[in-house]
Amino acid sequence: MFRHLFKIIWNKKKQNFLLITEMLISFLVMFAVFTMLVHFYRNYRTPMGMQYEHVWVINYNNTLKTQNKDSIMLFYEGLKQTIRSMPQVKGVSYSSGNVPFSQNTMMSGYEYNGKHINPNLCRVDKDYTNVLHIQVTEGEWFGKNDISAKARPVVINNKIKQDFFGNESPVGKFLGKDSDLKIIGVVDDTKMKGDYTDVGYWLYDKIDMDLMPWTDRILVDVTPNADAAFEGQLYKTVAGMMKDSNIEIEHLTNKLKDINYWALVPMITLSIIACFLIINVALGLFGVLWYNINKRRGEIGLRRAVGATAMSVSSQLVAEALILATFSLIIGSFFAVQFPILNVFDLPAGVYLTALLLAIVFIYVLVLICSLYPGRQAAGIYPAVALHEE
Amino acid sequence: MLKNYFKIAIAVLKRRKFFTFISLFGISFTLTILVVLAAFIDKVVNDRYPDKKRDRSLYTNTMTERGEHSYNGGAPSFYFLDHYVRSLKTPVALAISSGFKGTNTYVNNKKIAINYKYTNAEYWDITEYEFLEGKPFTKQQIDNSERVAVISENTKKAFFGNVPSVVGKYIEADNVQYRVSGVVKNVPITLYMMYSDIYLPYTVSKTDYKSNTGYRGNYYGILLAPTRADVPKMKEEFDQMVSKLPMSSKEFNKIYCTAEAFIPAYVNTGDDQKSGMAYALTAIGIFILLVMLLPTLNLININITRIMERSSEIGVRKAFGASSRTLVYQFIVENIILTLIGGVIGIILSIIVLQMINSADLIANLELRLNFTVLFVGLLACFLFGLLSGVYPAWRMSRLNVVNALKAQ
Repeated sequence: MFRHLFKIIWNKKKQNFLLITEMLISFLVMFAVFTMLVHFYRNYRTPMGMQYEHVWVINYNNTLKTQNKDSIMLFYEGLKQTIRSMPQVKGVSYSSGNVPFSQNTMMSGYEYNGKHINPNLCRVDKDYTNVLHIQVTEGEWFGKNDISAKARPVVINNKIKQDFFGNESPVGKFLGKDSDLKIIGVVDDTKMKGDYTDVGYWLYDKIDMDLMPWTDRILVDVTPNADAAFEGQLYKTVAGMMKDSNIEIEHLTNKLKDINYWALVPMITLSIIACFLIINVALGLFGVLWYNINKRRGEIGLRRAVGATAMSVSSQLVAEALILATFSLIIGSFFAVQFPILNVFDLPAGVYLTALLLAIVFIYVLVLICSLYPGRQAAGIYPAVALHEE
Repeated sequence: MLKNYFKIAIAVLKRRKFFTFISLFGISFTLTILVVLAAFIDKVVNDRYPDKKRDRSLYTNTMTERGEHSYNGGAPSFYFLDHYVRSLKTPVALAISSGFKGTNTYVNNKKIAINYKYTNAEYWDITEYEFLEGKPFTKQQIDNSERVAVISENTKKAFFGNVPSVVGKYIEADNVQYRVSGVVKNVPITLYMMYSDIYLPYTVSKTDYKSNTGYRGNYYGILLAPTRADVPKMKEEFDQMVSKLPMSSKEFNKIYCTAEAFIPAYVNTGDDQKSGMAYALTAIGIFILLVMLLPTLNLININITRIMERSSEIGVRKAFGASSRTLVYQFIVENIILTLIGGVIGIILSIIVLQMINSADLIANLELRLNFTVLFVGLLACFLFGLLSGVYPAWRMSRLNVVNALKAQ
């Protein structure tokens, strides 16, 4: 049966070659789209890892005239106390520019056990976990006195732990070429770049006297009833204390909306385009198959005349189309499998494999739908009519 | 002859309506995507508002210092522009403006988020913003550090509502009161070197623009040459000046900073080893290839099917002496007629899609429109499309054997 079908396909290889190419490219397009969708969906399902609903960000820039580190530290401690003492404020923390849901990125490279880690470097103070309600899963967060330690204390996120330390506890281990960073704790993964972007590696470093002049964000945890009037008041307070600085207050909820928007717009645009491409391909496939059947009326009529059932005629035509699809899928999968093997876009292999599976199913379903109607039509051919034409 | 082909083409189109629909659908939708893309690119890089003197200008927007182990990139500093670039002989004017930054202001307990930008007086000479009312601030006002501002149309609406004139009124931004000196037409954010909600004199900048004597900062420069012919000379002079710059620190051994025409400057990555132009062109190329490949293949498939259907016609014509060349020519003309019909539908569709994009306000102040460039690109794409999808089937057809073709029926 199959040998027979292959023979039929081989006899029309020129036309089938074009069909296979078309299915192959459709498959590759669907593979790309499904890879993105699966990646987005996986990220969407991961918990956020922090509470951002009532957290505001104050952007400022250090314009203090003094270069004296002690007086700079003193001033910013005072600023923090002032904000903290406002009635609707629950917590305050300084942070580097890469606050949650910001486009700002700060990376650094470290060595561990001969492996290279390239984490996001987030410089924060001891109240950061309280403001964002991030869980410390192992070890401890920064305290008051850990700056005096010889090696610089840092905290890593869970993903670094999983990928570089596995089951052993990273607490107390050293990072860097000269082992100058000591890991004191592990925190939960947080989706710092919005709902649809993966967690990534994050390393937290404590802001000390040397870093304070370069710090330019304040995170403020406010009560749910804090309104625009309070925001205005907060703005005036901060601007009053830092007369030369540019101040901007943002809400993390809005920043999340923004960053999600920028992740979703390309995704949606590409999906819409892919959708149209597929409709296009489906119509074309349908048309070509339908025409082929009309051309083979004589052959089909003959088969019916010698006793083939309607069912077997239509299933032959559907099977032919599916075999064509299988050819293109085998070639396509060969290309698609290269992505996880060569680790092209740094995505987990599971994402690619799920996408591969989805794309295969999709193409089969598409071809099945496109060939079902022509197949049924072929089954409806009366041998007397078809053979009479010849 | 052409008239005959046209008649035949229409007759063929009418014969199998389903196939015609598939072809037209594929062509028009592909064209719609291409036209929308072209409109977007055209708007971003080709819209001459507000810098109408683009062909006489060079833009400098990145400054990179590189060493063995270090790499520091960003925008140039005010000092670099005002001190080094100012010393060049060729430019007749030098516009300096900061990158836009956000701040908020509170009107009647309502928060308004706005972006502000500092400029010098020449900025207003080189660019030609359309002033809806008032005028730009002058050099005199800048030297006196007067707190004056030029605001955008949108900012006027957000602050003052629908009032006829706001010149002379005060607007609060970043906790400071500024007197409005003019209102300009909006600029889309995609023109990141020119976009802002409020334009302020650089002398009122809170960050001390004078104290930063390094090369990197947050300012962009536009250099204006006396005539278009002087632009290459100006570029050469600029490059020479950069090559003579003293290193700011021992860790660096190379300074990379260029003054370029608008488009290369727009996509400048600030890294001499990564050409922004190459990136942009590759990305656009791959996208167009992907979008066009499938519909083209589809069209080829459909076309072959349709031709085979007409094998008796072809056989008869060949038997009566038509050369393969004539047949190929005829078929390509037919196919181009088909794609042009698809093109017209595609352009109507793109007008609708552009309307939808504009009303959805995806990017602030970005108004996409069809113009002659975009239409031309669309028609060209259509023509190419017709040619590409017509050649292979026509070739197949011309090789049909007369006897077989006639026997098939």
